[in-house]
Amino acid sequence: MAAVVSIQNVVKSYTRGKQRVEVLHSLNLEVESGEFLGLMGPSGSGKTTLLNLIGGLDKPDEGQITVAGERLDKLSGSQMAAWRARHVGFVFQFYNLLPVLSAERNVEVPLLLTKLSRAQRKSNVAAALALVGLSDRATHKPTELSGGQQQRVAIARALIADPTLLVCDEPTGDLDRESAEEILQLLTILNQKQGKTIVMVTHDPRAAAYATRLLHMDKGTLARDEPRSAA
Amino acid sequence: MKYLPLVWAALRRKPARTLLTCFSIATAFFLFGALQGINVGIAQVSKLTSVSHLVVMSRVNLNAPMPLAHAAQIASIPGVTAVSPFNVLVGTYQRPNNPLIIIGSDFDAMLKVSADLIVTPAQVAAMQRTRSGIIVGVTTAQQYGWKIGDRLPMHSLNTTKTDGSADWVFDIVGTYTLKQPSWATRIFAHYDYINEAITTGKNQSVQFYVGISDPAKSAAIAQAIDDRFANSPDQTSTANEKDFLESTLSQIGNINFLVNGVVAAVMFTLLFLTSNTIAQSVRERTSELAVLKTLGFTDAGVQWLVLVEALLLGLFSAAIGVALASVVLPWLTSGPTLASQGIGAMHVPGLVYAASAGVAVLLALVSGVPPAVRARRLNIVTALSGR
Repeated sequence: MAAVVSIQNVVKSYTRGKQRVEVLHSLNLEVESGEFLGLMGPSGSGKTTLLNLIGGLDKPDEGQITVAGERLDKLSGSQMAAWRARHVGFVFQFYNLLPVLSAERNVEVPLLLTKLSRAQRKSNVAAALALVGLSDRATHKPTELSGGQQQRVAIARALIADPTLLVCDEPTGDLDRESAEEILQLLTILNQKQGKTIVMVTHDPRAAAYATRLLHMDKGTLARDEPRSAA
Repeated sequence: MKYLPLVWAALRRKPARTLLTCFSIATAFFLFGALQGINVGIAQVSKLTSVSHLVVMSRVNLNAPMPLAHAAQIASIPGVTAVSPFNVLVGTYQRPNNPLIIIGSDFDAMLKVSADLIVTPAQVAAMQRTRSGIIVGVTTAQQYGWKIGDRLPMHSLNTTKTDGSADWVFDIVGTYTLKQPSWATRIFAHYDYINEAITTGKNQSVQFYVGISDPAKSAAIAQAIDDRFANSPDQTSTANEKDFLESTLSQIGNINFLVNGVVAAVMFTLLFLTSNTIAQSVRERTSELAVLKTLGFTDAGVQWLVLVEALLLGLFSAAIGVALASVVLPWLTSGPTLASQGIGAMHVPGLVYAASAGVAVLLALVSGVPPAVRARRLNIVTALSGR
């Protein structure tokens, strides 16, 4: 299978106060198309930094990152934004839905950047909400939904533009066990039935068990690469 | 247009704050529209008033009455062609809260003094025949739905009649108009009809309207009139109508400067208020703006969303304020006091609508650009991590 994500000798550091902290040290990684990759590791190990680089939210200081055939380290800010809109769906720990918009309006937001007509957008939104089992909550605002339902809306939003890659930052970190299971099963379905490549950061071993490959990070390097069969 | 729900959502995020900001901007633009309307109205009054006749008033007090005998002495001064006394009967019409002012004058003399009064000869003749007759300005007649032949009852407030009553009856025998019909607002009655019936202020006049043969000599004639009464207990102050109005207004101060000063102060304050509101709103939505960028909105796109939000808020609120001014200003300035001075209702001039839109855009840009730039520069990773 072709590599969707290819990372070569990536170095990333941040300035905190007056100190420069190197978060990723000459990191190399390849993620194949259709993989469900779990990223684990202690706090400060560089998981989220790596996820941000893969999702095109940040740029490396050194090295090359190629995702979905595009050299992200070479793109300008606006090119990167357009690339994100086309190729990546994001799922956050705290859902990050727009609080004054209904579920369907939240899901529609990425489609505003496309040339789809209003009717087409509406139809795609309905399909995405049906996929995550929330057709009956389309007009509800985030505050009127449970945590699990909000996360499902966030997943629908991440899927709506049919991205190459789903990037999930602790998607079950704010959920009870039952809701977390539902979200993980949904991600598994998306991975297995729709062939979506998923990169997920998690602290939770139960969540990690759903991944088809597990990477352990420590102090900015890959400590262990653990292929496994899906749950 | 498809991004409008996002802008609308941002405005709805804190409805109370948006409404209060909208109210503040609307109030400022109401003041802007109304004050500029008054400014333009005053300039128009000055432009339309005449130098071809004089107004004689008491030197002591603008409202102090003078003896009617002054009229004959004024008439004897060279260059004076006509003199009309000018008394005001203040009262109410139909309801106690519906004020009305009727002017007691020598209408034949008024026609000679104010050549701009347009009345048909038949109506002038009817006025001459009818002791209780009145000639009403077309604007006032339209306002009350009066027509010739109507009988106008009035309850006076500033004087009573010799029979002890305060109720008067006038007969509408004609209407007059002017080059600018909206300023035809006065109601002229016979001075004698009122004078004979009143118990106080009998044989007195608060003003005299004086026609002159040569407007170029108005200053000299005015001086001659004042000189005539220099040693009288009832000294006069005479000016042509235009100078009189300008000197009255100058007592209030430089109206133009005051109006512009007030408007500038209001707008300056508003600038800080709006800037603070929009900046606070953007600060509160830092993570939401970062999410939009995450989903593919460009830095410029997010910047425009914030700017459009500021523009919509500013323009919509300004439109409400100016619309309100355009309704309230004519209502406020169509009262009987101004009408009795022959000043019609003031309106918000067309230029003010365009100026308001311009000021609103400027206000929105000045207050919206800093938070918009901040939104543009927002770093996704930093914003999402809450740092």
